[in-house]
This record gives sequence, structure tokens and C-alpha cells, in this order.
Amino acid sequence: MPPALALASSVDPSALVGVWRADQMASAVGSVLSSGYPALDAQLPGGGWPVGALTELLQVQSGVGEWGLLLPALACSLSRATSPRATLVLVGAPHVPLGPALLARGLDAQRLLWVRTDTPAARAWACEQALRCADVTAVLAWLPQVRTDALRRLHLAAHDHAKLLWVLRPAAAQHESSPAPLRLLLATASPGLGAAHESLVSILKRRGPPLEQALPLALHSAALRALLAAAKLRGSEARETLVVRRAHALDRLAAAV
Amino acid sequence: MHWIALQPLCDAPPGQSVSAPDEAALRVALGWRALQFTPRVALQDEAVLLEVSGSERLFGGRDALLQQLLQPPLAISGWAQGASSLLALACLRTGVTQPSSPDALALHTLSAARSHLATLSRLGCNRWGELRALPRGGVVRRFGAELLDALDCAYGLRHEAPTWLIAPQVFEVKLELHALVEQAGALMFVAQRLLAQLQAWLQARQSGVLALQWTWFFDARRSHALGDAPDCDGLLIRTAEPTRDMAHLARLTAEQLARCTLTTPVHSLRLQSIEVTPLPTASASLLLEERLHGDSLHQLVERLGARLGAQQVVWLQPRAEHLPEHMQSLEPAGLALPRLAPRAKKASNADAAPDAALYPSWLLERPLPLALQGSRPLYQGALQLLVGPQRLELMGWAQLDAPAPALRDYFIALSPHAGLLWVYRERLTRGQASDRWFLHGIYA
Repeated sequence: MPPALALASSVDPSALVGVWRADQMASAVGSVLSSGYPALDAQLPGGGWPVGALTELLQVQSGVGEWGLLLPALACSLSRATSPRATLVLVGAPHVPLGPALLARGLDAQRLLWVRTDTPAARAWACEQALRCADVTAVLAWLPQVRTDALRRLHLAAHDHAKLLWVLRPAAAQHESSPAPLRLLLATASPGLGAAHESLVSILKRRGPPLEQALPLALHSAALRALLAAAKLRGSEARETLVVRRAHALDRLAAAV
Repeated sequence: MHWIALQPLCDAPPGQSVSAPDEAALRVALGWRALQFTPRVALQDEAVLLEVSGSERLFGGRDALLQQLLQPPLAISGWAQGASSLLALACLRTGVTQPSSPDALALHTLSAARSHLATLSRLGCNRWGELRALPRGGVVRRFGAELLDALDCAYGLRHEAPTWLIAPQVFEVKLELHALVEQAGALMFVAQRLLAQLQAWLQARQSGVLALQWTWFFDARRSHALGDAPDCDGLLIRTAEPTRDMAHLARLTAEQLARCTLTTPVHSLRLQSIEVTPLPTASASLLLEERLHGDSLHQLVERLGARLGAQQVVWLQPRAEHLPEHMQSLEPAGLALPRLAPRAKKASNADAAPDAALYPSWLLERPLPLALQGSRPLYQGALQLLVGPQRLELMGWAQLDAPAPALRDYFIALSPHAGLLWVYRERLTRGQASDRWFLHGIYA
């Protein structure tokens, strides 16, 4: 055996920080926060969202499950914080977050500080300032146009202050290089897939082997899923009883009008 | 008794001398800074004198106190120490830090002897020791009692009663600029110096500042040429919590100054404290992990608000309304901050309205009118209505003047590409041919 190979086999890669076998998942360097979805946790290095690192979330368009994906972790980060003023910062959201809906899913919307600014430079600046604040636990930033060096700055700021940081970008950005150690692509499942109204999460980049298939996750709230299932059931029943209901007197009246 | 004498550093630009009022102001500022080490600070002639024997132990001994006192932000050109105030002052004037023997000091270092220097030198009396050796009665008759009193004080034979420096109730300092300034951003250099003085004053008064007033004065000749222009302009800066952190105040000032324009050149700048409250010193935790590193929340909010505008940084405040667009209000974060006290009870799912779980997480700021295909609304493909209708009546206080209450039928719809949507159909009004559909929310 050549000496170099002998050395390589004698070193245990798991004993080295930041080194992992390409066919195995890396253990997390810092702490992690569970995503609340066991199927997703199993595919993330360390078993959750990395604290103190940039995570990129790419979407074809906004509104395809970003709240559902992040809500359990956001709520958990707020409830775990020791500071009584623990705050979540949104930088430049595409629409208005509806507080009652978020509260119903466990996130206290009054702890949400929303920075509404449109210029890319101001968004990146606000994001970095938020990361430096001791009372902020997590930052969600929509940065459609951001340079790689700005992303690197944000990654370092998140690392220095041990903050959760998600940057949401358009799907077209998946072909650009990025300093984020974790990149995910979020898409709606095609309607033919079934009535589950699931979202597909594919992991574009992680410290570990590439994930071949996208992960189907049911990201909507349990109440909404139950309502949709009930409506589907009722819809099929209604179609069967359509003929009977037509015979009702009020319906005849409505048809006459 | 142990005295330390400090001489302030006058940094005049080359070719100009520092005016007497400026020098006095520098001495006062240095005195305020010295007040954090001992309450016994006096201003005498050109120097600031501190009596530190009472507070030496608090700072860990005389050497440790000196080390802390002489740290860089202190602008001094020299210092000296001695057993009495006049001795320390004489050493400062001679240029030595500690006297070997007071007898060897030159007489001109004693302020009381300065008016009699010529006579004394003709007597052959040039040192403190030589003056002391003269018969006391004759010296008193020839030069007056003050000379011998001062000498006794210097030797520590007589009690000294200087007037102690007290930090005034209100901070107000005006600084003349070395040159006329035409751009507001250039005022920052002088502003930094004023803020350093403010910090020393706050420390002396053990207070934190809540509101500051900057005032700049325009050059009179130029403003007269412009006609009826005001001779000064200003800027009020407020913070949500009392602070002594000058870096934060400097950032706020810089952001605000960057937006100001000066109509005419400015010759001086004044800083006043408007609102000041006692600032208790927070006791730090012994546990390492409990120490949070970084700015506090109110600093973040004020900094974001100063650059982006106060309306751009908002909190979501829930309101008891049934209309989706009025369920919450966006409050400027700067105004809501004082009320953001740590709440005893955390909001939980139980506080939410029963049907809130069925609301979408994104609400469109303005409902988006949808195109129709036949009678079916379109949004990135034909919508399939899954659940509904849920009827909402728009008869709130805001719509009282509307001619008739509008009705909306909300549906949860599925778009082939955009996922689950919250759409509504407006009730038909008279003279309207077909339904109007709107997109109002997105289930994300």
C-alpha cells in the first residue's frame, strides 16, 4: 500500500472538524433547530436547520409553502429564546403576513418586525443590522437581486452572532454559486399527484450526498387539510345526489329566475 | 490627601490660537470626565485638579486609578501628582510628574507669588525653600498674607478649600467650527467631540439621555445676503430608552444629518440635552451564556428607522375586526417600542380566532382582480374552487358612508401553478353584467 493511502485509511474522517465522507451526511458543525418535519430533518445535516449559517430557499414564485416549511422552526426559536424581547425580523416580504393565521399555527405575530424596503442594497443592509441585534432570533429575507459577496457577508454575520437566517430567492438563482451550505428548492406538487396538496422540497446543496428525489411534504395546517378532505368527500357525494336535488322546489324556482 | 493635576490638550489648527472661552470649555469638559473617578474635582488656573485619596481603593489602588484615568479618550497635554493641590499644579508647570522635594521648586510655579516675582528674585529668593526660610512677619508685611497662606497650603500645613466642580442640570455646549462648513455631513466631526463631552457629563450625573437637540448657526453675512433667512436651524433626536452609548447616538445623528441641507455655511454647532433620566447600572450576569452579544432591539429599530424611514419598519398589531384587511394594523416600530415591555403571558394558539387556522398566511395588500374564462376565474390557469362560499359582509365602521353593504363570497381555490389561493366574488350590484373575482390571499 502506498504511504499516502495508508495514511488516508488510518485517519478517521469523523474525528476531523468540517471533513466528511462524500457518501455520508456531515455532522453539523454548530447547533441545529428541528424543522418540525421528521422526513426533512432526516435529510438535513445534523438533523435540522443550521443555526449560525445562511440557508437559501429558492422558489419559482412566492406563496408555495414557505410559511408552512419555516413556521414550526420559527415558533420554536421564539419560544426557546431566553430574552423577553425575542424578535423575528422579516426583510422585504412579497405580501402582508396575516397575523391571526400565523398565530393559529403557533407563531406570535406580534414578535414579528417587518422591514418594508424595496432597494436590494437597503434590504441587505437591514438584514445585516438585524443579524447583529442580540434580541433577534431569526431573520427571513427576500433578496431577489443580491450579489454573492453580500450573501457571503450575511453568512458570516449569521455565523458570528449564531442566528437563524433564511434567504428567499427566485428559482433562477440555482445556477449561480452561493456561499450557503444548505440550498433548498421549493415547488408546488403538480395537481395530478393527489389530493394531499403537497409541496415538493428538493435539496440542491448540502454537506452530504445529493438527494435524488424531491421530498413531498404536507405544509398546510392540519385544519386546512381536514377541511379540504371534507370538501372533497362532500363534492363527490354532491355529484351523486345532483339529480335528486334538482327536483327540489326552490331549485326549480332558481332555475326559472 | 493625594492630588492629581491634569492639563487639557488644546488642539488648535496650525496658525490659530485657542480662544479663552474655548479653553475654559475644554477644562470644564475634562473636569466632567474626571468626575467619574472622584467627586472632588476643582478647576484652578489652567489645570483640572482631582483629590483622589477617597476613591483610590474603589479603582484598585493609586496606580490602577492613574492608569484608568489616563486612558486615550482623555485629551490631556500633561499630568502631575502631589500631596497638595498647589504642589501637583507646580509639578505640572515644571513638567515633572512627582516632586523630589518641594523646596527645590521654582517660585514662578506658585500662582500667588507671580505678582511679586521681580521683587523676590532681587532678594535672591527663587525657590520655595528660600521663601519659606524668610521671616514670616516680614513677608506678610511686605507681600500680604495670601503668599504665605498659599505656601502653607502647598506644604499641607493649612486646609485647602477649593470650589468643587458640579456638573450642571442641563447640558449645553456650543463649539465654534474652525472653518465654515457647507455640507451637513461635515458637521459630524464636531458632533463627535460634543458627544464625547455629553458622555462625560452623563457619566458625572449618572444619567442616560432620551432626547437631544442639535442646533447649528449660520454665518450672518451670508444669510443676510439671502434675505430673510433664519440664523440657525436644528435637529431633534430621540431614543426610546435612556442611553449613554454615544456610538448609537452618533449613528442616529449621522443618518439624520445626511438628509439635511444647509442653506448657508455654518460657523458653530450647539448640543443641548432635552430629556435626561437617571440610568441605573445593570448588573451583569455571571453566567457566560446569558450574556447576549450585539445591539439591543430598540437600537436596531431606531437605526433601521433612521435610514429607511419610520414607516418602513413596522410591527403587526392584531385588531378585533372580521374583515381580513382590517384584522391587523401596521404600527411604526419606533412608536410601539416603549409599549413592547416583556409580556408575562405569551400569545398561544388558544388566543387565535377559531377559524383563523383557515386564513391564508399571505394577504395581498390590494385584492387583485382576476380575469374570467366564461364564469371561471383565472390565475395562472383556471381555478378550481374547493371550499366555499364563506360570506362576509363589509358593513364595518369604515364603510358606513357606502351606499349599500357589499358582500363577498370567499372560496379556497386551487391554481394549477400557484397552489392554494383565497379568492372572493363580489355580490352583483345593479348595472353590473357579470361577477367580479378577486385574489385576496395565498396559502403558503
